[in-house]
Amino acid sequence: MQFAQDIKRLKQLKGTESLQNAWNQWNQNHQSLTETTSLLTDADPGMRGLAEDEYQHLSNTLTDMLKKTFPSLLIPPSETAGLSALMELKSAVGGSESSLFLANLLRMYLRLADAKGWKTVIVSKSDTDEGGVKDAVVEFKGEGSYDDLRWESGVHRVQRVPTTEAQGRVHTSTVAIIVLPLSEEAESGGDSDLFNMEDVKVEVMRARGAGGQHVNKTESAVRLTHIPTGITVSMQDERSQHQNRRRAFQVLRARLMDRKLSQEMDERRATRNSLIRSADRSEKIRTYNYPQDRVTDHRIGRTIANLKSVLEGDALEDFMIDLRRNYEETILENVLVEGDHLSAI
Amino acid sequence: MSATRLLSALRSRIGRDQANLEYKWMTQAASHELDLVAMIRRRLVGEPLQFILGSQPFGPLNLLTRPPVLIPRPETEHWVTRLSQFISPVAHKPLRLLDLGTGTGCIPLLLCHLWPPGAVKATGIDVSDAAIQLAIENAALCGIAASHDDNCNKNTFLAIKANILDPCLYKNPAIQRPIDALTSNPPYISWKEYFHLPHSVSGYEDPKALFGGPFGMDFYHAIADFITCDGTLSPGAVVALEVGDGQANKVQRILTNTGRIKHTEIWNDPWGKERTVIGLA
Ligand SMILES: C[S@@+](CC[C@H](N)C(=O)[O-])C[C@H]1O[C@@H](n2cnc3c(N)ncnc32)[C@H](O)[C@@H]1O
Repeated sequence: MQFAQDIKRLKQLKGTESLQNAWNQWNQNHQSLTETTSLLTDADPGMRGLAEDEYQHLSNTLTDMLKKTFPSLLIPPSETAGLSALMELKSAVGGSESSLFLANLLRMYLRLADAKGWKTVIVSKSDTDEGGVKDAVVEFKGEGSYDDLRWESGVHRVQRVPTTEAQGRVHTSTVAIIVLPLSEEAESGGDSDLFNMEDVKVEVMRARGAGGQHVNKTESAVRLTHIPTGITVSMQDERSQHQNRRRAFQVLRARLMDRKLSQEMDERRATRNSLIRSADRSEKIRTYNYPQDRVTDHRIGRTIANLKSVLEGDALEDFMIDLRRNYEETILENVLVEGDHLSAI
Repeated sequence: MSATRLLSALRSRIGRDQANLEYKWMTQAASHELDLVAMIRRRLVGEPLQFILGSQPFGPLNLLTRPPVLIPRPETEHWVTRLSQFISPVAHKPLRLLDLGTGTGCIPLLLCHLWPPGAVKATGIDVSDAAIQLAIENAALCGIAASHDDNCNKNTFLAIKANILDPCLYKNPAIQRPIDALTSNPPYISWKEYFHLPHSVSGYEDPKALFGGPFGMDFYHAIADFITCDGTLSPGAVVALEVGDGQANKVQRILTNTGRIKHTEIWNDPWGKERTVIGLA
């Protein structure tokens, strides 16, 4: 039977348990269907009616399994499912208007975290005098937060009339977002598989003159440089040097982890002809258009008509579900292409 | 005046970035707007932020600060953290540590915190009643027991009143010898330097905590005399002394001249200044 062969391949692709379940379920349903078929021509009209209903129901179930359950089993489990997320937001084009929009986005994500039950920590944040935020780093702690948020990486564009604009002209400003994976490793210092401690230069930032007893100015800013990659992280938000250091290491670790994951993906792509694109962080991914009261995600070509429902409601999750589905479809396609490739050998 | 108006005044005094940070920290500590306004006003006349907020982080600890007791410095935080790795005492065989001029108690308290339980019995001495009182409060805040009588399961810290400059210090029964680790950040500012200190230092912190004699060296000589006494240091004991800008070589010589120190080294602070002289008995 054709199916048995497929099953074998499926097993290689994924852990066997859910597959076994699906297979058992398929067999049971299939058997019931065969039994029901014989009753479709039963002499008793009452029995015939029941059989017809059941037949309908069973064939729906089987079709459903074919269309959804089995394909979904082909999607390899996410390697990043357990990871929390670290989000870096930076105002880009548009000066103070960009910072004001960043504050809107930040609120949107904090609200989302609340709804999802993730714990959030504002790791660093610099406010502007106009009530905006120039840049921020936020930690979202909770299983699946990275997988949910990773599609938010990219350039977010806002089109609206700034409150300061006298002529009523629409301005376009942007905010750049990067979402990094956060592993649950020991939090401060120490070697890890991501870096060696000797490769990290830890520096203080401002001059202190004679220092020591001569100066009692608060001085807690730190800067880390990971020499092999040139990645630098500065942290100054806390009065505690210790805390700033811990957070700087957390960001460094997340950036290195991110690098590692995308390198792995690149390698896979190179060897296997993958269809999965790497995320381009300079790509404009979404537009928030106030005059037209809409938000458009350019990757999936979807527009949500009510802007407020995205920024203040739960429509952001609709985007996220679509983005994830979009990704899973690519993976699935990819698996099938690879499968063809394998069977061609 | 509104808090924002005061913020802009603070910016022109201490720089935009520093003012923004301090404003944020004061906002976090203030219970209401009036509180905040009062805090910024105090800051504007030069009072150290640490006294306004009443605390200063020191490693993972958060210590109470109160005038006129000297505010723990980041340079001290750095070398004490390094010392905690340089010496590795083990649980249940406590080493005896003496801290001279303990102030807030920051040095022994951080070591008590970082080392395994039962690894250290620390004593700190100070001439200032305010310092002793604050050190005791800080020990309680950090959960460090204040008695050496107990069994060996905990790190302990005792703050007592005594004078470093007293030639009979070694006879003080409260100071048990031999000592395995001697730490000190003694007053090291000279007469000349004293008059050039910023107002936030000289106007708020105890002159007795800063002034180290005409050349800032008085306490190093006294400490050298103390360790020269027979039975003060145990074999292999570690001495760690914080020094002011440009004093490291002189202090190194003073230590070597005691004849009790076999090896010395100098540690830099994170700003590249020679900050700590280490001696091994
Ligand atoms: C520079 S402060 C250091 C405080 C604390 N160890 C630190 O590092 O933050 C010097 C301390 O020595 C104390 N002190 C000054 N003269 C002293 C003396 N003659 N005997 C004992 N302590 C003294 C002061 O009260 C002050 O607390």
